[in-house]
Amino acid sequence: MDVSQYLEIFIDESGEHLQTLSDCIMELEKEPDNKDTINEIFRAAHSLKGMAGTMGFKRMQHLTHDMENVFQEVRNDTIKVDSQMIDLLFKCLDAIDGYLENIKASSDEGEEDNEVIIRELNNFLAKAEGKEPAPQETPQEAPREEAAADDADNRKYRKIDLTDSERDAVMTAKDSGLHIYGITVIIRKDCLLKAARAFLVFRAVEEIGEILVYRPSSQDIEDEKFEFDFSLYVGSPEELDKVIFAAKNVSEIEDVVGEELTDFSAKDEEKGQTKPAAVAAETKPEIKKPEVKKPEAKSQAPAKKPSGGKPATSRTVRVDIEKLDALMNQVSELIIAKNSLVSIGSTEEGGFNNQGFHEQIEYLERITTSLHESVMKVRMVPIESVVNKFPRMIRDLSRSLNKKMELIMTGEDTELDRTVVDQIGDPLQHLLRNSADHGLEDTAVRVQRGKPEVGSIFLNAYQEGNNVIIQVGDDGNGIDTEAVKGKAIERGIVTQEQADAMSQKEIIDLLFMPSFSMAKKITDISGRGVGLDVVKSNIEQLGGDVEVRTKLGVGTTFTVRLPLTLAIIQALMVVVRDEKYAIALASIANIESVPVTDIKYVEAKEVIHLRGCVIPLIRLDRLLDIEPREKDPENLTVVIVKRGDSQVGLVVDDLMGQQEIVIKSLGKYINGNKLISGATILGDGEVALILDVNTLM
Amino acid sequence: MASNQTEAIESRDKQVKQYIVVQIGSEKYGIDISYVDNIVRMQKITRVPKAQPYFKGIINLRGEIVPVMSIRKKMGLEDDVITGASRIIILKIEDKGSLGVMVDAVNEVVNLTEDQIETNNISSSHAKDTFINGIGKNGDQLISLFEINAIIDEKDNV
Repeated sequence: MDVSQYLEIFIDESGEHLQTLSDCIMELEKEPDNKDTINEIFRAAHSLKGMAGTMGFKRMQHLTHDMENVFQEVRNDTIKVDSQMIDLLFKCLDAIDGYLENIKASSDEGEEDNEVIIRELNNFLAKAEGKEPAPQETPQEAPREEAAADDADNRKYRKIDLTDSERDAVMTAKDSGLHIYGITVIIRKDCLLKAARAFLVFRAVEEIGEILVYRPSSQDIEDEKFEFDFSLYVGSPEELDKVIFAAKNVSEIEDVVGEELTDFSAKDEEKGQTKPAAVAAETKPEIKKPEVKKPEAKSQAPAKKPSGGKPATSRTVRVDIEKLDALMNQVSELIIAKNSLVSIGSTEEGGFNNQGFHEQIEYLERITTSLHESVMKVRMVPIESVVNKFPRMIRDLSRSLNKKMELIMTGEDTELDRTVVDQIGDPLQHLLRNSADHGLEDTAVRVQRGKPEVGSIFLNAYQEGNNVIIQVGDDGNGIDTEAVKGKAIERGIVTQEQADAMSQKEIIDLLFMPSFSMAKKITDISGRGVGLDVVKSNIEQLGGDVEVRTKLGVGTTFTVRLPLTLAIIQALMVVVRDEKYAIALASIANIESVPVTDIKYVEAKEVIHLRGCVIPLIRLDRLLDIEPREKDPENLTVVIVKRGDSQVGLVVDDLMGQQEIVIKSLGKYINGNKLISGATILGDGEVALILDVNTLM
Repeated sequence: MASNQTEAIESRDKQVKQYIVVQIGSEKYGIDISYVDNIVRMQKITRVPKAQPYFKGIINLRGEIVPVMSIRKKMGLEDDVITGASRIIILKIEDKGSLGVMVDAVNEVVNLTEDQIETNNISSSHAKDTFINGIGKNGDQLISLFEINAIIDEKDNV
């Protein structure tokens, strides 16, 4: 079976299951007795194993299987959860994650067997078995074994002893020309209503045949007195494939195995024999078996390796069906609007001036706007997928740094463009590590300072206008600006005089300079100097920025501001001489007409004093190397742009108005230009440049 | 032109390369046609402030933003004078995208065989010579053949 087409789904879902596992294990660590959590873990581990098996990733399957066994024991209360086990489980997750990364990169799970982890897992199991014999389910599936053996285990129909009346029924059916099939149905372990599933299987099978024998008895099955499988003899005029297919179609059925039975007299003799012999004996008369075995091996037998070296998978977004419905509706409206325009064009002469035409244009505008919004929404994913791994990270850090800390997260459901979400993980991780390592004091120091022993690190995400704000911070020591200054002087980055003249903010900005590390000792967590500068440049690449607030002894907060969407923005078009520029509307505070006489000077720079704020002025013409005007007009048009708390007034010649613009890149040739973030094409085909005003503040 | 055609027929089985012959100042330059995506008339070029000086700006080529370079400025010649004959050659370069190059005029397309291309006598004494990887001899006219990589290369020869 070629499974490569499912690879993407597999990677997606495995990732989800891993996340669930990680979350649950964290929870388990806090409340080791929570049955719900254990069940949840078991389900996730089981699904993971099933999927890995289906895809033919044997090593991954093996590891998950052993892990599942441990959970099984936990569920049965034979093993107690302890921190040693939690550590081991996390190691398992990392190993599985490793497999998954390999699969993502090369469609292959790699060669690592993780024997150490498996041995440790088995040690745990052995400990449990020392107390009492392992429950039945555990040995029931040994996926590491060859497919045939595994299969044979499940082919319980072979072991059915027929009663006389049953044999009569079977023989009668056989005589009437029906094929007799023995099948075993295996229900998924997480199935809640086993009897209902069994009933559905019966009904499906009975549509195309007659059930002659039940094992366990039909009464027992109805009463749920069976483990996870039951066997049937079916008399049917149809082929085996159809019968198996009918049974498999019922949901929550793990697998259905079966074959045609012909020789019922032989049954009695075989009965007492060992299993392998039975298999051998039965394989012989089967003609069908080899061909049905492949598809039925769906989850038990190791499937073929995905054929060909399909490289890394493409990126996908899971879309809520409601969002797609909204999209579809808008497209239908778009078509209606287009049709109305067509009919106006064809029926009325000179129709371009009439009212109906303008109404339709307005209608069209509304639709395109909402269409744009919907498409953007489709690209939006909650940041959850990124931040979910952080609690685990903080836990690990807490251990390796030997500091007590907890992570408090809010707003995980805040949505961002997929491309942004993909790239925001590393910078956030870095900030969190920073907080854990540099931010929080050692436990002893905290106690001494009268702070709670457990340090808190927080991550808050929320939407603010066209931006998403993610705050990462801690209640630790805060940044010691004097120490930063000292370090900067020591490194020769600034002179003593320069340092003395620096504002608090400027000093903190030093931290964002390349290879400026404040760590006293280098750890694997931070202090290598590839730090905040990388964070900053990563975030800026996404069109965002980062700000720091700190108070010595109280804590530090990094505020990351990211644009909600890329590609299309609302912009204000401004004119400077004969050139047109676009400024993102989101960064504009207000627009003022300022008399030239109101311009004041501070340190020989132009400023205006507006409603209690002193705002520096930037002449766009000078900034952009445009010939200055010979004489200023009486009133200057000033566009006031903001970033966080800082504001700058841009002097422009004229305003063109607000417009929705599509951002296009300038390409790879033109560079060294942070001021221009891109270009856009205006309605008349002219090109206008987009100013990134964030670089001005 | 007639001699061109006969030559082309004669050399059919030899390695033939096609070049677009453009006029820059008084010199004729050849651009390997396999790099050329399009030739467009001069249109409004939007200046990009703070860009490398040899970039004239960007144009809108059917909805795509294409940067336009002044090959004259890149080679250290005097600035372009735009006339009715001026054209922008759009080069398509893998993994870097499209690039427009301003030329004074586009003359013709020539076929050059290997033995019509002189690669030995290229002096590197003058800076602009580094943009050329050969000289094509087409009848009595000489065509300097552009090394495309040198044109797109970042290094500033101004």
